[in-house]
Amino acid sequence: MTDAIKAEAIFDAMGAVLTRWTMGSAAAPAASLWRAELGDDPAEAELRLLALSGQFLGAAVVMEPAAALRVLPGIPALALPTVQEALRPLVRRILAAKKQAQVGTELVHFLAERGCTTHPADWMPAADDDDAPDIYAPWRDWAAIAGSESATRQQANDHLTADNWEDFWPAARKAALAELRRRDPSEARKVLESRLGSENADTRLRLLSLLSERLSDDDITFLEGIATDDRAPKVKALAASLLARLGRGPAAGEDTAELAGFFSVKTKGLLRRSRVVQAEPLKTPAQVQRRKALFDGADLASLCGTLGLAPQELIAAWEWNLDHAADMALINLIVATGTDAHVAQAADAINEHDATGLVVTLAPRLTSADRARHAEAAMNAHNIRFEQAQLIAGPAAQLDNPLSTPAGKTLLAALQREDAKPSDQVAELHALGLLASREGARQSLQRLTAAGLLQGDPRLDMLRLNAALDDKGAKP
Amino acid sequence: MAIDLKAVEQLATDQSSLKAAAGLAKPAKWSGVGGSRDGALIWGECAGSGANPYRVMADLRDLGNKCTCPSRKFPCKHVLGLLWLNAEAIVPFTPADTPAWVSDWLGRRRGTSAAKPAINAPPDGEKDLRAARAVEPDVVEDPKDVARREAQAARRNEETERAILDALDALEQWIGDQLRMGLSGFIDDATARCRRIAARLVDGKAAVLAGRIDELPSRLLALPAGDRPRGAVVELGKLVLLARAFRATPRNTEIRRAVAASETREAVLADPAALRVDADWEVLAEQVQTRRDGLVSQTTWLLNLAATGPRFAMLLDFFPASAGRRGSVFTPGESFHGELVFYPSTQPLRAMLVRRDAAQDRPPLEWPAPDETLSDALTRPLLAEPWAIDVPLLLPQGRIARDAAGHTWWRSADGITTLPVAADISGILCGTDLTRTAAIWSGNRLAILAAQTPWGRIGGHD
Repeated sequence: MTDAIKAEAIFDAMGAVLTRWTMGSAAAPAASLWRAELGDDPAEAELRLLALSGQFLGAAVVMEPAAALRVLPGIPALALPTVQEALRPLVRRILAAKKQAQVGTELVHFLAERGCTTHPADWMPAADDDDAPDIYAPWRDWAAIAGSESATRQQANDHLTADNWEDFWPAARKAALAELRRRDPSEARKVLESRLGSENADTRLRLLSLLSERLSDDDITFLEGIATDDRAPKVKALAASLLARLGRGPAAGEDTAELAGFFSVKTKGLLRRSRVVQAEPLKTPAQVQRRKALFDGADLASLCGTLGLAPQELIAAWEWNLDHAADMALINLIVATGTDAHVAQAADAINEHDATGLVVTLAPRLTSADRARHAEAAMNAHNIRFEQAQLIAGPAAQLDNPLSTPAGKTLLAALQREDAKPSDQVAELHALGLLASREGARQSLQRLTAAGLLQGDPRLDMLRLNAALDDKGAKP
Repeated sequence: MAIDLKAVEQLATDQSSLKAAAGLAKPAKWSGVGGSRDGALIWGECAGSGANPYRVMADLRDLGNKCTCPSRKFPCKHVLGLLWLNAEAIVPFTPADTPAWVSDWLGRRRGTSAAKPAINAPPDGEKDLRAARAVEPDVVEDPKDVARREAQAARRNEETERAILDALDALEQWIGDQLRMGLSGFIDDATARCRRIAARLVDGKAAVLAGRIDELPSRLLALPAGDRPRGAVVELGKLVLLARAFRATPRNTEIRRAVAASETREAVLADPAALRVDADWEVLAEQVQTRRDGLVSQTTWLLNLAATGPRFAMLLDFFPASAGRRGSVFTPGESFHGELVFYPSTQPLRAMLVRRDAAQDRPPLEWPAPDETLSDALTRPLLAEPWAIDVPLLLPQGRIARDAAGHTWWRSADGITTLPVAADISGILCGTDLTRTAAIWSGNRLAILAAQTPWGRIGGHD
């Protein structure tokens, strides 16, 4: 008897042995091939059989997969390199210290601005993570492939057309469409025209929002079709708001007239008479609710028309800081339905009138350069903290001397107080790390350690990462 | 920033701490000693009684401090020892970047005032540096006393052996009962039944075996339901083999280690037969597990990066769960040059750190190729030590795959071997070639510790 045959024979016997033991009956009689080894004492035979079977089952029997195995495709390399190996522990610590998704999003945008990405072992976006920078689209699609039953799509190149639409996974498709829109706006619109109808409402909303880039009169016909025919109210509303930015808002109706009634246009000054728009005082909660509801359905151009003003005039004549709810409603209206010029004008007006909190709302529609400029101006003029400034500035502020701002002086003073604790100012120092340029981060580190913070202090992690990162991004 | 010995004296809770600290204030006990460039922080690693060293750190501005040892004294002797080294400049505190573990501790500190010496501390007279430093003269022992003590020890040894053999009889009786009553019932009621026999084994001085049986149910329950009868046969079969091995050679230290207790650190260090390996080691992973008997086990897996020698080393320590959460000792992925001493064994695996050299800036070292074929690696350890539970493996090139039911498998690049993976794996490990994989083969499942990939080294928990 060869060893191979013997192993087969043992294997065959094991089925019966296991069944008997599972049920609680003696198994030695079922293992006749080991009769000599097991001996005559029944109790001893069971223990010997147990030792032999255990060794055989532990060493020689390895589970095999029941069906075909699926191997996921390799995680693709991104268009930017991963962060240097030496800085990965710092990235991991920042991600681990602040569990909120928001911090991860800020950090990956910051890294992308500096020309690098996370290492996939440290952070990867989920398939539905629409807040991740477009550079991560291949990883989002990889996560989608991992979560799906099979990978059937075969994307041949990066150039999206109506014909190869189905070959793209969703995140790469959205990134390619955004890129196409920047390069050739009308081609991107044509692709959308032929393909938008077959997507679900959430996807339609996301794809349609890409048209806000290089929006022009050429898009009007397409948007009007969506605004009237789309099945989803939120998609219709988005199309309407894009149309309104092009001056094609709905005709001013009763609602707009009612909304206009909440405001009065007056003139003031004796020599240089100028107009001001004021919110009428609201007397009841019902009025508050009503005005809010009317704002939700309004558009900037119609409201201005009803008030007898051009949008630029309304923004210039608005009395800020009188009625905060009205200020916020107007800003939201401008974000949704104003042109880029209106948004920029409103941001300047807000800055001038010390209503800084409102810039955060406008920020998504401002260019990075404008965001950084407004953040810096607000910090110098209005004493806002780094945290607020960072919300305004986004990931590309690149401030060279942030600690010289009032916020920096306040921070230094707070850190040097007698009763300062090692856990103070965590968020403020993190925001500072995001706001600074590389040089700014280096200088800030020097000043903060001179002020008594330890070089190894984990609150300085973001500044240390910033100071160590190559600066491949351009200053806006 | 400098401190003087007076501060160390004031900080010590009692004279015995000070005495112990004096014993630790010697360069040989320490490795990786350093300080921050601003002079505020100092740190070092101190060899303790366990296999893993302790990480010790202190903030010289306010004498705040932290040590990873389980001592309930605050500060412990290791902190005092580190401060002593610093106060007397016994070793150079090389200025360096603050290690991550020191920064982590800084981030967790609640306040700067917590560690200030108590104002109403007992008068200094009770603690005396000079007394702590004094070397007690060796007492010359009476040869008769020595002989009597040795005789007592031999008698105790025999009693212990008798007690263990009785306990093993009870264990075999119990195993036979489980078979007679049916393994399906055993699997359903494993926790309670194992607890009872484990208690009997503790009484019979077979403490290590008791701990192993206490953890048996959790290993069994980790298997898919259909695989548990097989798992139960393997686990119980190993117990029979171990019991028989002990009966055959009750004085064999290796078998005794698996049944009763391990040798002390001193005994292993003094054993001329204990294998010492001076090599580059990479920290693969650290496993911390709270056991049913109230102990926390801390296992550090090291990979030997040299061409030959034992491929893996396992540093194993236990401490009571009541001592609280303990900091990690090593950072997975770091590599160091140092000397390990292995517990004497036919397959050296369990070890202790004897010496760790100062860290050097150097590119990461390559992992070696597997030393033997995969089928040998899976079965050879079971020939020498058939009761072993965990077999560390260095796998050749392979890839993670999934079956239709969503279970995870490791498959070799040549397609010949497919092994089931214990935990669900997601992320990067599924999306790249694993050129080398370090894993533990346990209960016929793989637990991946770390892998080398085109993306670099990836930890099993990344």
